[in-house]
Amino acid sequence: MAMEASNVKPPVSAIEEAHLDLYTIPSYSSWFQWGNIHEIERISLREFFDGSSITRTPRIYKEYRDFIICKYREEPSGRLTFTELRKSLVGDVSTLHKVFTFLEKWGIINFSGTVSAEPAEVQQRHKKEVRVEEGAPYGVRVVAAPNSLKPVAPLPPPVDVGGGGGGELAENGSKFPPLASYSDIYGELLQQQQQGKEGKELVLCGSCKQQCDSGHYEHTKDEFLLLCKKCFGNGDYGSKSAHDFKYVDDTNQVVWTEAETLLLLESVLKHGDDWELVAQNVKTKSKLDCISKLLQLPFGDLMLGSALRKTKVWDRNAGQAVPAHSVQDTVTGDDQQHEHKNQGQQNANVEDPGPPHKRLCTVPNLDASSSLMKQVGRLSSVVGPPVTACAADAAVAELCYENRCSREIFDDDNFGDELGYSARTDEEERVLPVENSEGEKGPTVSGASEHRGNGANISKECCTINFANASCNCNFSWCCSCSCKVIGCSGRERN
Amino acid sequence: MKPLSTWGSSRNPVKFRIPTSDNLLPIRLDIEIDGQRFRDAFTWNPSDPDSEVVVFAKRTVKDLKLPPAFVTQIAQSIQSQLTEFRSYEGQDMYTGERVVPIKLDLRVNHTLIKDQFLWDLNNFESDPEEFARTFCKDMGIEDPEVGPAIAIAIREQLYEIAVQSVASAKESRMIKKGRKGFEHIPISKAGGIAVDLVKSFGNKSSVIRKRKEWDVFEPIVDLLSNEEVDALEATEERNAR
Repeated sequence: MAMEASNVKPPVSAIEEAHLDLYTIPSYSSWFQWGNIHEIERISLREFFDGSSITRTPRIYKEYRDFIICKYREEPSGRLTFTELRKSLVGDVSTLHKVFTFLEKWGIINFSGTVSAEPAEVQQRHKKEVRVEEGAPYGVRVVAAPNSLKPVAPLPPPVDVGGGGGGELAENGSKFPPLASYSDIYGELLQQQQQGKEGKELVLCGSCKQQCDSGHYEHTKDEFLLLCKKCFGNGDYGSKSAHDFKYVDDTNQVVWTEAETLLLLESVLKHGDDWELVAQNVKTKSKLDCISKLLQLPFGDLMLGSALRKTKVWDRNAGQAVPAHSVQDTVTGDDQQHEHKNQGQQNANVEDPGPPHKRLCTVPNLDASSSLMKQVGRLSSVVGPPVTACAADAAVAELCYENRCSREIFDDDNFGDELGYSARTDEEERVLPVENSEGEKGPTVSGASEHRGNGANISKECCTINFANASCNCNFSWCCSCSCKVIGCSGRERN
Repeated sequence: MKPLSTWGSSRNPVKFRIPTSDNLLPIRLDIEIDGQRFRDAFTWNPSDPDSEVVVFAKRTVKDLKLPPAFVTQIAQSIQSQLTEFRSYEGQDMYTGERVVPIKLDLRVNHTLIKDQFLWDLNNFESDPEEFARTFCKDMGIEDPEVGPAIAIAIREQLYEIAVQSVASAKESRMIKKGRKGFEHIPISKAGGIAVDLVKSFGNKSSVIRKRKEWDVFEPIVDLLSNEEVDALEATEERNAR
């Protein structure tokens, strides 16, 4: 919400006009004009403009409005209250309050009104303020991995992650009432955490309960089972065998404070997998540290996955890297199609630099394992039809280069245009590109055919884009999309 | 010129109701049994089933630990006020526009309030509770009992004016005189004469009050000391007897 100075003249005499006062109103209220009544006013306060009462006329409205604004501007630093105002105006208090609220809502008055001394107002603001408490809320705790003893600082409270096990890890030095079940099971761990010094957590041997200094052995299957070097050397494995343990070097234990972790998360969200930038942001940790730390976090690998998805597309945008969504494609033939779609999205993003994250969030997680048509369907539902049309168009062009059969289908000049236009409707239709020209299914009857662009044949059910050129080349043929036989054309045999 | 549905038409008569967005009836209780006095004021929704009255009375007695004799008295008082309200329902209130002055002159615990302002009887979206909230917020009143007391005081006056309007509407019908756009009602201790709309809102006048009148319409909020409260209470009791 940008603030503009609105150069408004209060009704003063010509002599005083020399020094005009500047009053600040929000830019969304720039419609306001002193000498005029705007449509917004007429609509919001229509009771003044519908002739329903002698007590409410446009003239009266303007008098109220102008008076209120002038009154406010006598003291722009303070907040003009309704009660202070209403004594000066003749009229029903409810109606006056409505005018007052209208002007206040639009920031025409009380916009730069200060944080007032009124206690009630302060109270209300406090209620809305977010209170930042130390330590995570009681109910929500995040662990690196279930049952992990790795020294990990818990995530700061604002990050609410559903994942993670039930265990709790204490913040360095912060206190919290341990849940009964937690302390029963993880009592030892709790002890360790509380014993730990600032930024350093201890690793205790499961056998001799001594602190393991430079390294310890960890059971591959049960991360809780730790043995110090001494016990391991003694063969004190308990019921496990030696092979199950792996050595973990503690000497270069990297410790992350909460602030650093938060910084890391923010950086990853912002920069994706550009670890250079991430490491720069988290100034105190190296690239490798960042990566391994992220992996340790409960959703870390998810973030990495999505970070990978945020691959930057270099070639299309003249060296400018814009994060776009790409799909982890397993079908090569459709790479370009997706790329094109991404480009479409990118373009949209570039044009609308405002909330790119919102856009990103709305693209559903594309599961590479779900059917391609589903993916395509989802993608095409995200962007507008023209974008999808262009994408499909380009994809088809590429396919034609690669694939002889496709070329036949799309570019075959033997398709006459006898049928001309079919039921190309007014509604927009999307073309889903051919997945696989070899995948011809058995002949099934489909509805009346529709034909679109470049001689492609699409059945009515499949065709969803309104191409500009309606030249039907169709005859008895296969629908390029669903591979059903399309009936209803000239009936001329295809060559 | 179709008026909005939230405003009464200036032509058709309006059926009796409290002219606010919620048709809530103000109830006042002042019961004395065996030297114990119970005073209270609140709003009641007349569309609640009457069985609620006894339930409410019992709950009140229980919460305030009053002797059980109060239950029937409270219930009876509420019920009779309700019945009286209902007796007006269905009758015509007024025709034409009505803007009336509302006066506040009340004491709630340590807070003393004096105020007056105008209220449009045809504004069926008006909200005394909202007015009271704004009032308390703007004046920095922290006692939470003040707001509701203001709202109830407004409602009582509106109620009284509405009742009087019914009576005078009846009269006019009986007299069978032609109706003008604006009627005046007899002076009552609450409402006073309705505002002369042509004079106040007509094209020849300004709706901005003269400065010297501002004091009259400005609210006065006083915080009383304990002694003053005691003194006032004593006076009130003496007057009541």
